[in-house]
Amino acid sequence: MRNVWTLCKREVKSYFYTPVGYVVLGAYALISGLGFSLSFILYSFWTETPALYDLPAVPDFEEAFLSTYLVYCGTIIMFIGPLITMRLLAEEHNQGTIEMLLTHPLRDRDIIFGKYLASLTMLCLMLFTTSINMVIVYYFVQVEIEVLLFGLLAFFLMGAAFLSMGLFISSICRTQITAATLTFSAFFAFYMMGYMAEDLPEAAPVPAEWSEQAQTNADTVYQGFRTILNELPIDAHAQQMAQGIFQPADIAYYILFIVFFIFLTFRSLEMLKWRN
Amino acid sequence: MIRVRHVSKEYGAFRAVDDVSFEINKGEIVGFLGPNGAGKTTTMRVLTGYHPATKGSAEIAGFDVNTHPLEVKKRVGYLPESVPLYLEMTVSSYLSFVAELKDISRSKRKSEVADVMERCGLTHMQRRLIQNLSKGYRQRVGLAQALIGSPPVLILDEPTVGLDPKQIVGIRQMIKDLADNHTVLLSTHILPEVSMICDRVLILHEGKIVTEKKMDELEKGASLEEVFIAAISQETKPAHA
Repeated sequence: MRNVWTLCKREVKSYFYTPVGYVVLGAYALISGLGFSLSFILYSFWTETPALYDLPAVPDFEEAFLSTYLVYCGTIIMFIGPLITMRLLAEEHNQGTIEMLLTHPLRDRDIIFGKYLASLTMLCLMLFTTSINMVIVYYFVQVEIEVLLFGLLAFFLMGAAFLSMGLFISSICRTQITAATLTFSAFFAFYMMGYMAEDLPEAAPVPAEWSEQAQTNADTVYQGFRTILNELPIDAHAQQMAQGIFQPADIAYYILFIVFFIFLTFRSLEMLKWRN
Repeated sequence: MIRVRHVSKEYGAFRAVDDVSFEINKGEIVGFLGPNGAGKTTTMRVLTGYHPATKGSAEIAGFDVNTHPLEVKKRVGYLPESVPLYLEMTVSSYLSFVAELKDISRSKRKSEVADVMERCGLTHMQRRLIQNLSKGYRQRVGLAQALIGSPPVLILDEPTVGLDPKQIVGIRQMIKDLADNHTVLLSTHILPEVSMICDRVLILHEGKIVTEKKMDELEKGASLEEVFIAAISQETKPAHA
């Protein structure tokens, strides 16, 4: 555990020895701040004169503002997450420092958790920026503090899921550029799956001339595919959580997602030793 | 202190190290010679636990590298061929980080780092960023990280590369002084360096040990250069698995 902390500390300091840390946090604060200001102002207009915006009544705060804003913040991680994770292990390969880490008395878990914890520290700094916005919300809107905290948890889990995937991709790449490009592509593919799923029809598009048995089989496969496309996107589960709706499946999704990619990172580091 | 038994390392169909066996006793300084691509670095990497051997076993201080990697790594100071440095750190913060990884207690860390910097001639450079250092100074920082914690076994892959002549003399003397309490395996291409500091020499060619001689035996006969050329000119079987 002590080694995890040692590596994490060095990694976090490294973000700020180079401009990466400042750029990432600055960009996040700017983009999330703009989104917050604009959507908060718009929501205040809605509440004052809903009719002017063709709304039948004042829209639900959690659904119309809070969830949308927090998922938007999580989505920003999709764009700047690769900048956080690209260096984690790819840079060690590139600089040859992985040789130093692997020949010091460290376990694989020290290296992987140390790196992951460092990226989560950056995420927490972003969470802190968003929390300031949440304090403003709490001051102006009648909303339970539990709902806000749960929303922030949704943001954190969404970001942590993105970062675990980025850590794995960084472990299989030799340069930061390839790691960043692959990470962004993977994030984007996961994100777009949700939009693809929305356009799929509910029933399987099976030709009518097929036998009944074939139609049933095709429909079972199609429904499975549709469920995966609906459930897999990283933002899908955060949307409900950010409205303060607690469903164990949503939290389980993120935990399993993170565990899966951390596990792959372990395998990747193991493989590296045999391939070196 | 170091025991290598029938170690082979294959990269796909290419056998980089082929059935290598040797032993190094406590307090010995052994020179590891061989032309480029002979398998010196690969053997050193097996010894330090960086990558596992395809066949055979290696032991350091009685601990098997594969089954007790942490115990081995605690006892080995390793300077790799391409010096692994975090360029964005300062010399002292990098060495403190290494000291922390080597489990040196907080109270001793500062004095240990200061002592190693002093021995490697880095004290006046301690606040400089590593990326601003010359090749020679980077080499010294690499050597310093291997020496931190005074590990009983030192494995040094070309430790004097890039150093100025004065520093080379200093580092050679330092390695010689280390022999009292340390076991040293060092690879180099500078033959006089081996004659000056080593007790024994191992010559590796195409993955095999072709010559193993004590320096005092050598001095009575041919020069090291002659022995080296003769050893690597021998016909060896093609190094394929």
